[in-house]
Amino acid sequence: AEKWDMPMAYSASNFHSENGAEFASCVTKGTQGEIEITTHPGGSLFAGADIKRAIQTGQVQIGERLMSGHQNENAVFGFDSIPFLAPSFDASAKLFEAAKPKMSELLEEQNLVMLYAVPWPPQGLYFNKEVNSVEDMKGLKFRSYNNATSRLAELTGMLPVTIEAAEISQAFATGVAESMISSGATGYDRKVWESLSHFYEVDAWLPYNYVMVNKEIWDGTSEANQGIITSCAKEAEMNGLKASKAYTQFTMDGLAEGGMAVGPAGDALMGELRAIGETMTAEWLEAAGDDGKAIVDAYKASN
Amino acid sequence: MTEIYAIGLFLFVLFLLLGTGVWVGLALMGVAWVGMELFTTRPVGDVMITTIWASSSSWTLTALPLFIWMGEILYRTRLSEDMFKGLSPWLARLPGGLVHTNIVSCTVFAAVSGSSAATLTTVGKMAIPELRARNYPEKMVIGTLAGAATLGLMIPPSLALIVYGVTVNESITKLFFAGVFPGLVLAGMFMGYVALVSFTSKDWNPNVELGMTFAEKVANSRFLLPVFALITVVIGSMYAGLATATEAAAIGVIGALVLALVQGSLTWDSFRASLMGATRTSAMIALILSGAAFLKLSMGFTGLPRSLADGIAAMELTRFQLLMALLVFYIILGMFLDGISAIVLTMAVVEPMVRGAGIDLIWFGIFVVVVIEMAQITPPIGFNLFVLQGMTDHEMGYITRAALPMFAIMVLMVFVLIWFPELATWLPDNMRNGPS
Amino acid sequence: MTLLRRFLDFLYSAAGVLAALCLIAILSLIVIQMIARWTGEVFPGAPDYAGYAMAAASFFAFANALSRGAHIRVSILLNAVSPGPKRLLEIWCFGLGAAIAWYFTYYAYNFVYYSWRFNEISQGQDATMMWIPQSVMVVGGSLLAIALTDNLLHVLTTGDHRIVRDTIESHGE
Ligand code: NA
Ligand code: NA
Repeated sequence: AEKWDMPMAYSASNFHSENGAEFASCVTKGTQGEIEITTHPGGSLFAGADIKRAIQTGQVQIGERLMSGHQNENAVFGFDSIPFLAPSFDASAKLFEAAKPKMSELLEEQNLVMLYAVPWPPQGLYFNKEVNSVEDMKGLKFRSYNNATSRLAELTGMLPVTIEAAEISQAFATGVAESMISSGATGYDRKVWESLSHFYEVDAWLPYNYVMVNKEIWDGTSEANQGIITSCAKEAEMNGLKASKAYTQFTMDGLAEGGMAVGPAGDALMGELRAIGETMTAEWLEAAGDDGKAIVDAYKASN
Repeated sequence: MTEIYAIGLFLFVLFLLLGTGVWVGLALMGVAWVGMELFTTRPVGDVMITTIWASSSSWTLTALPLFIWMGEILYRTRLSEDMFKGLSPWLARLPGGLVHTNIVSCTVFAAVSGSSAATLTTVGKMAIPELRARNYPEKMVIGTLAGAATLGLMIPPSLALIVYGVTVNESITKLFFAGVFPGLVLAGMFMGYVALVSFTSKDWNPNVELGMTFAEKVANSRFLLPVFALITVVIGSMYAGLATATEAAAIGVIGALVLALVQGSLTWDSFRASLMGATRTSAMIALILSGAAFLKLSMGFTGLPRSLADGIAAMELTRFQLLMALLVFYIILGMFLDGISAIVLTMAVVEPMVRGAGIDLIWFGIFVVVVIEMAQITPPIGFNLFVLQGMTDHEMGYITRAALPMFAIMVLMVFVLIWFPELATWLPDNMRNGPS
Repeated sequence: MTLLRRFLDFLYSAAGVLAALCLIAILSLIVIQMIARWTGEVFPGAPDYAGYAMAAASFFAFANALSRGAHIRVSILLNAVSPGPKRLLEIWCFGLGAAIAWYFTYYAYNFVYYSWRFNEISQGQDATMMWIPQSVMVVGGSLLAIALTDNLLHVLTTGDHRIVRDTIESHGE
């Protein structure tokens, strides 16, 4: 029997981690213990940022990573994080299908085989006040965590402040930051209603967590077991999507229950945001080159 | 059975390397290496570097050398003398005398710093020479310092509570509030113990402080102004939203430099000495943290902490039994791991157990903090013991024995928390809710 | 020989000074970031740079901390035994320590080489090429390894190591 260790970045109770644990037991059962996968949630083995390289170099056999975290390395990895390009679960599924062949190819070059990917709930805007237009956002301190979110702040006239994930709650409580873009889950987990008042479901983008296996290890796995793993992965992809949708509803309700005003953005605001999205799509296409253009063209053709 | 074999092997190699005098950080790396070579097929060297790079280049870690530097600067100012001048008239007549300054100073600095090691170096550097000069029993000086410095983890801000809050998805703000009263109660218990010893111990013959009138005492309190100014600036910057917990450390350093400048104790030599001292102390702690990070990873690969927690989960205990089992579990784990690693490694299994038993997760955060405070002073791997060894030249055994009563008091504190859960839950439940 | 001796001692001290400068860099980066935020400016990547300076401050200081006796060890046994066995124990400690440090350095070099070869870029806003900050592990690791080996040879040839604790300066006594 072979033992595979599977590092995951998010806490054990997160739906991605629960889904990953089910996938692991599916594989362990399906292969009758020939391959036994142990998940290590909550960054208890490797932190998120280190997981991709750990799989590539065989430090672990398999693992889960938010791929858009690696867009500095290759802009194409961030195709799922372009604001307002595919703003819904259905649109983002189409975008992902359009990108899948290219992504698999890029990952394979990096010694990685993609097994399945599950989207996070859609990203929405959090504020400490009511916002009806981009004008209302001007001058707010906006939590940014990468170049794209900084650029978004710039285009909306907000002031980007860098706050690490660990300090989100404290930063809002003390007014170091007044606004952020994130999924409902982040706000729910960090209980931001203690300091923030409004959540707008703008569905800006749906970033994907990928579960990947080291290619050499994959190639060394028997065809029968590869088949079992692939079918477990298919199941996990479906279950994960379901869980993501259910969790979106759950966190929206949770935020509202916590006392926040939760709802879609007004038409005027949404229009302005889409215009900003087009600017950022164009900028991303410049950075992502032909590969990026192929993905966006395929996505637009599928609509 | 693999587990028992693994535990035995880890312990054997650990005691062999530490006991023969291999430097602590390198010994931890050696133990981790043996564990990984024997229990996994993964490339050990690559894993080691990945994890050591991640742990040593962390932004949150930067608060540690800065707080240590702040301590080194303050140690070279008149602040320590002044603090004693200010505090001693009030504390000298209490049973236990100036040993209370150890505990009071640690409590105060705990409100500035998020770590136990930083609190310990800051207060220890100032307090040890002063208390020695006044002829207090060395064991009490060292022991109370080792124990009270752990308040840095409970009284907000706290690195341990941040890690816990992120791991179990609870509000860090609430956890911070929850730590306030238990921190003060624990400090009070330490002080009660000091008073008790002062009555019963034969070695208790400190120099007698001069008596003062109330007016004189108040007048003398002006010496406390610099300390309180510094603390106000550091804490104020955090609560006013000017700085995050990490950035507050930088404000602390600048505040200390300004203070030293105003007092005229900032010379080029003292600046250089404080900087080099801080650099070396941080390097010492960084080497141990590197080793600890690798050991944590190695244990994670073997699945040891998790299978122990699984074992507890399988026993299906009542709420009180569960807490007792976890207490013993974390005390044992805390002997070999630093507290924060113990949280990260086990919470995946412990959290559902605790939630299932209907225990409030905010309250449990404080329970866990008390337990990892103990880990700071239990051998063979106890950070406060290491830091005190570096600071005083006493042997580990001596420091451990000196700190043992503090360990017992922390165990008592766990029961106090169980009997009076409101200590931890009242403040977070009654703080302002909803948007500001 | 004396030239080599002086060169090595200079090396350990110089690296210590470099580490101290990195500590000042951490302070400056954090202060600049705060001021930038207060004034509505942006300093992208400041936390990442502070993290690299943190690693550099640690690794550059390892050898210096060793030769000044700042790294701690459990010395109960060392203090209890007579000079003969003590020398053997010291050989074991320095030998094993040097082996671990060289092992670390070798894999750190591999790690950095991989980062360079595959053009690893930081995932933060700084987008730094990772081999640059990561090189401090190779430099600091090899300095520590050299210092441990240096002391090992000293124990083998003269019977004692060269670690001198600086109790007056930094140990609060
Ligand atoms: Na604290
Ligand atoms: Na311990």
